[in-house]
Amino acid sequence: MAILEVQHIEKHFGQTKVLKDINFSLEQGQALAIIGSSGSGKTTLLRCLNFLETPDQGKILVHGNTLFDAADPSTQLEKDIRKKRLHFGMVFQSFNLFPQYTALENVMLAEQLLAKERPDFKERKKEIFKEIEEHGQQLLAKMGLSERAGHYPHQLSGGQQQRVAIARALALSPDILCFDEPTSALDPELTGEVLKVIRSLADQKITMVIVTHEMAFARDVANQVIFMDGGVILEQGDARQVIEHPTQERTKQFLSRYKENQ
Amino acid sequence: MALIMEQMPIVFRALNVGFLQTLKLFFVTLLGSLPLGLIIAFGSMSRFRPLKYFTKVVIWIVRGTPLMIQLLIIYYFPGLVLGKTIWGGGESGRFMAAAVSFIFNYACYFAEIYRGGIQSVPVGQQEAGLVLGMTRTQIFFRITLLQMIKRIVPPVSNEIITLVKDTSLARIIALQEIIWAGQAFMKGSQGISGAIWPLFFTAVYYLAFSGILTVLFGALERKLDFFR
Amino acid sequence: MKKRTMMLAAAGMMVALLGISAAAEESDLAYVQGNGKLVVGITDFEPMDYKDENGDWIGFDADLAKAFAQEIGVEVEFVEIDWDNKILELDSKTIDCVWNGMTLTDEVMSSMETSNAYCDNAQVVVLPSEKAGDYASVEDLADLNFAVEAGSAGEAEITALGYSATPVKAQSDALMEVAAGTSDAAVIDALMAGAMVGEGTGYADLTYTFGLNSEKYGVGFRKGSDLAAELNAFLVKSYEDGSLMKIAETYGVQASIIEQKAE
Repeated sequence: MAILEVQHIEKHFGQTKVLKDINFSLEQGQALAIIGSSGSGKTTLLRCLNFLETPDQGKILVHGNTLFDAADPSTQLEKDIRKKRLHFGMVFQSFNLFPQYTALENVMLAEQLLAKERPDFKERKKEIFKEIEEHGQQLLAKMGLSERAGHYPHQLSGGQQQRVAIARALALSPDILCFDEPTSALDPELTGEVLKVIRSLADQKITMVIVTHEMAFARDVANQVIFMDGGVILEQGDARQVIEHPTQERTKQFLSRYKENQ
Repeated sequence: MALIMEQMPIVFRALNVGFLQTLKLFFVTLLGSLPLGLIIAFGSMSRFRPLKYFTKVVIWIVRGTPLMIQLLIIYYFPGLVLGKTIWGGGESGRFMAAAVSFIFNYACYFAEIYRGGIQSVPVGQQEAGLVLGMTRTQIFFRITLLQMIKRIVPPVSNEIITLVKDTSLARIIALQEIIWAGQAFMKGSQGISGAIWPLFFTAVYYLAFSGILTVLFGALERKLDFFR
Repeated sequence: MKKRTMMLAAAGMMVALLGISAAAEESDLAYVQGNGKLVVGITDFEPMDYKDENGDWIGFDADLAKAFAQEIGVEVEFVEIDWDNKILELDSKTIDCVWNGMTLTDEVMSSMETSNAYCDNAQVVVLPSEKAGDYASVEDLADLNFAVEAGSAGEAEITALGYSATPVKAQSDALMEVAAGTSDAAVIDALMAGAMVGEGTGYADLTYTFGLNSEKYGVGFRKGSDLAAELNAFLVKSYEDGSLMKIAETYGVQASIIEQKAE
């Protein structure tokens, strides 16, 4: 069964329709790349998955359970949304690390706050915090950042900051990890280290949705690709197939522009 | 000079008493207006429209009229309307009325500074908190608050140093702060009359106190320098 | 000047807003007795109201006020006020009377209920000592710049003469203007000049010359208050039994006391 199903999602801001009848599904352990020019609705789609935007139409299912249904207000209660968000992790284009916390504190913060809601928190407080810290250190080690655990965001390079942000998103072990143009704010020489990390996550079979402009990366890492244009999915399928042999005219145009640039 | 040396002990005693009143008004105002300002700031950012506009009108009135007029209205108006003053005639009543006026006035200024501070924290910070499953309260206290404080320390310290000097306005309802105490020796008080220097000397008290505050705020700014 | 205009505007606004007269509806005497205290608005003004070494209020007016409070069976509470706001203080009931060597001008008598005059005073011209000899008559003063207390009898005199006047906040500020050379001369109360100007005071280099007019001191109550009549009766009684003059002698103002007779 698909881990994520998106059905008939629509979203408009005022008169402007940003998303029209979006449908796709994703299997456990697969990576999905969403490509398309800016303003095509890629980022809005990602924000809908994280409940940062509320779709006007459609359903979102995880593990076959309806997380969101525009027709059913009982799926949109503010208090439940908080928990539902935890199915998804999010890595932002501009990192959005918390500047007043060290790399390690950034990674641990959400886990610490959630731990306070555990029934055994009071008795086991010390142990729990120790476990969380070990977990945080492990995640930073995975990102190759063990040495930087005590650094504040402004003391880190852009690539290092984005890797901390990925560790932070992984801390709560989300079912699906979302990336919103994770390398767009980085200098070209720093994109490599971030892409390498995402590639290794794909190798570990972490389910991912990646909005990206890195076509070669999408082709090599993703299993599936969605090409969006003007708020609709124009083409979708096997990553290598879509990127190397697009069938739609718009997709060809879009991809050829990228080839020229490379 | 000899005369001044003779007057000094009496004058200093009186100025100290006056300055104590100045300090009392200063600290009571801060204690009341810093938290009240936050409440007003939330009111002015409320998604409930009537509350938002009501708060904005209140801020407009308070910031748009001189503090001196507010003091006069708050102290004298109740007695004129009700036929009996709510403050009591004595010095404690004058202090209460002055404190209420100052707290309200400064809270409105702080509210606008807070609002600017909160709104200047990038929205991405909130979103990052939301996707990590944090509640709005957790986001405010764990993420927004410290970043806001860092941004508002310079304008707030500016406002607080202005407050040190503004306390002298309470003289209009005859609160006997340090300038009042200094002026008393010009008219004649405690056997000294026609002495002008005590009034000028009050400036030294203000300077010393605002100097201490400047050092403290500098230290606070440096303390918040660990992040950007 | 600016502040005074603002204050008048504020007071005017209040009255307009309220549309009420400040007239007391019930007996003011009953109101004061109900509170158990008479709140006396004063300024620090030797020899009328000033503090002794213990910080207690004494002076001719202060002692007389204490005696009057005793007469009507209440405590007395002295409160220093801003002289500009005396009518506002009365009307908003933050004080019950103004008892501070107040000159009975037309303005005062129309806005307050005043007692009978109990003390004589004059407005005098204060000049730097070395220049005092240059001025022999009131006409010689025409070219001078005068510092006067805003709203005082002195201001009224100078304005009536058509001379140029700079209003300042207090009589003491007027003296400072002359001492600092920012004004050529000042006009203040004779009683105050006696206490504050000349050798042995803070203004040793100043002296006072002409009396511009003679005037009288009275006590001010809220408009329509029955306390004024009560005080008049008390003044007559204490004048007749000699206690009034005894207080006056304590503060050296006995020569200025006006005889009090029952009407």
